[in-house]
Amino acid sequence: MIEFQCSELSIEERQLQADVREFLAAELPRGSFMPGLGMNAAKDPVFSAKLGERGWLGMALPTEYGGHERSAVDRFIVTEELLRWGAPVGHHWVADRQSGPVIAKFATEAQKRRFLPGICRGELSFCIGMSEPASGSDLASVTTRAIHDGDSWVLDGRKIWTTGADRNDWIVVLCRTSLLDEVTDKRQGLSQLIVDLRSPGVTASPIPFIDGTADFCEVTFDGVVVPGELVLGEIGSGWTQNMSELAYERGGADRWLSTYLVAEELLRNHEHGEISDDLADLLGEAVANYWLLHQLSLSVARSIDRGGAPAVESALAKEMGTRFEQDVLNAVLAFVDQAPNTATDSLFERLLITATLTAPSFTIRGGTNEILRSVAAKGLRPSSGRR
Amino acid sequence: MSDTAEPDTLVVETVERLLADVCTPASVERAESVGWSAAVWDALANAGFPWVSVPVDAGGSGGTLTDAAAILRCVGRHAAPVPVAETGVLAGWLLAGAGIALPAGPATVVPDASAITLVDGRLTGRATVAWGRRAERIVALVANGSDWIVASCRPEQLSITLGQSLAGEPRDRVWFDVPLVATEHAPALPGTDGDALHHRGAFTRVVMTAGALSAIAQMTIDYTNERQQFGRPVATFQAVQQHLVTVAQCAVRVEMAADLATRAIARGAVGIEIAAARLIADAAIVAGTRAAHQAHGAMGVTREYPLHQLSRRLWAWRHEYGSATTWRRRLGRDVHAGGADALFPLITGWVAHDSVRP
Repeated sequence: MIEFQCSELSIEERQLQADVREFLAAELPRGSFMPGLGMNAAKDPVFSAKLGERGWLGMALPTEYGGHERSAVDRFIVTEELLRWGAPVGHHWVADRQSGPVIAKFATEAQKRRFLPGICRGELSFCIGMSEPASGSDLASVTTRAIHDGDSWVLDGRKIWTTGADRNDWIVVLCRTSLLDEVTDKRQGLSQLIVDLRSPGVTASPIPFIDGTADFCEVTFDGVVVPGELVLGEIGSGWTQNMSELAYERGGADRWLSTYLVAEELLRNHEHGEISDDLADLLGEAVANYWLLHQLSLSVARSIDRGGAPAVESALAKEMGTRFEQDVLNAVLAFVDQAPNTATDSLFERLLITATLTAPSFTIRGGTNEILRSVAAKGLRPSSGRR
Repeated sequence: MSDTAEPDTLVVETVERLLADVCTPASVERAESVGWSAAVWDALANAGFPWVSVPVDAGGSGGTLTDAAAILRCVGRHAAPVPVAETGVLAGWLLAGAGIALPAGPATVVPDASAITLVDGRLTGRATVAWGRRAERIVALVANGSDWIVASCRPEQLSITLGQSLAGEPRDRVWFDVPLVATEHAPALPGTDGDALHHRGAFTRVVMTAGALSAIAQMTIDYTNERQQFGRPVATFQAVQQHLVTVAQCAVRVEMAADLATRAIARGAVGIEIAAARLIADAAIVAGTRAAHQAHGAMGVTREYPLHQLSRRLWAWRHEYGSATTWRRRLGRDVHAGGADALFPLITGWVAHDSVRP
């Protein structure tokens, strides 16, 4: 059954939270930088390196590979603070959240030594190589194909909606290594390869995003030679490995904080003077939900620390969190009586514009809400004694 | 009294078993015509469960407020038609704090501390009181200048007109016009004021909601797995699964909110938890009962099927101890008073602590 356990932060965890807050206030004082919206925040390798120096990247990874063997809760605390501050997490985001953990879990000794220290220092950046033009929610239908050739694999195909592929270092590609007619289930015969985005035959072309930015890419692999030592985990186990990767991708604070700064800036702009009933209603409803979602994410992290596999809980939390990100934005939009305009010095207005334009993606990226509800529905079982 | 974060599992299991046994849908249905279930009350009262969290030396059963919250969840889960929240956590708390004896049977409270006023030595006013007709004592918290007085009245000192909530539970109109000296009265424990009562009452409704909504979620999953249409269980249709996920989400949201509210109130230091939990509960009641009823189809809107015993209670409880609008506005004003820089610390439950450098 579905289980979210309530917990509080320990003194040590509160101290970590206070340390991150102090670091951010000193390193990125409000007004000194353009904050980003959640995981869409800017890419800044120098900032990522500073986090690495502090031991705040690869926190839960083994120390022998540069990690810190901290808890999932500690990592949650750090990422939550970074996101709500709008800190430039773009460079290390995917590597820290999911590539590092899956490499630690499935990779060879040599791969761990090769990649994990750089991830923990905030140097290496990774992309997610899952979606394809014809494979979105039906991920097992990917047609990107790797053919064994001596000690290497030759990769052909296309990946799409790949954030940062034109600038990042590596991509973990989900591809077919056995043909569909060689397997009984299309989830078989899939593998994951770690591919150097600077390899010959890799082309990353930006796809202009709805807000005019160009972080999204389409990546084509045209006879790309991938050395055999860059196969991640087992050949043929790509689907299972990929599903465990998705568990890291869901359930975190990044799934409910994307529009947080819009709400905080709205409050900042109305700090002085009387508060209207409308604004009080907006803030009260938002805070109750933020308070709850924070606790749901915390409980997912605690479950991971107890050795649990909260896949259903993560899916449920992400589904609720991403809808709320849109709800709170819509409440703010209903409240403001001026049309957002790009000719503005107002941070609130600039955030509002980006949030409004990008909000539809919140409930799509990392698994659509419809897919998440299907995942969650599988966890809803009748009482014992019934069918 | 020391409060711990986890309830006594033996207590919870015993209450759960007891209610599963005696608080059947048929007995809940019968209670609507007589105003309560004597069998359910006796089963709980014989073991002292309605007085858990009230100290033994004050006439209670001892135990923690966390235990009491767990018992109230069972009450919610089984739609138990008895005044458990009123007798111990509310009236018992007021009486024990004031050093007034608890009655042997059920007790209840005037939920709104501004409803009854003390003028020239007389208590006057009107209030809607849960289970008023069944209570051996009706307890009012009354302002006396800047102090607060607890007054315990016998029903015959008051004028009572019967009324019912949407759930068919007694919510009686009670008129006070009685000299204070005719009641058992004493100063309230310092810190026990109208706002504390309001928070505590809202807390009981949140934990009862958590119990009832989780029962609704399981009932809906079970029903849709049994009910067949087009040759297969309706739970196998994606459109129905959407409703199941919605109900389950609503249930886990209120359960988490109730856990957090319980910790806050057991700790004796309430910040935003009760207001926030109350808002989470309200939205969950609306969305959760809507999805549950839709998934049940016509079966769910009959009196024969027990869904209504839970859903009608939820619709009744959401109006008690403050509407969602009043809690939302109040929380919003508190947030505004804290300012933008305090917003995230508020959300993450910042508690100033000596050993944490600010």
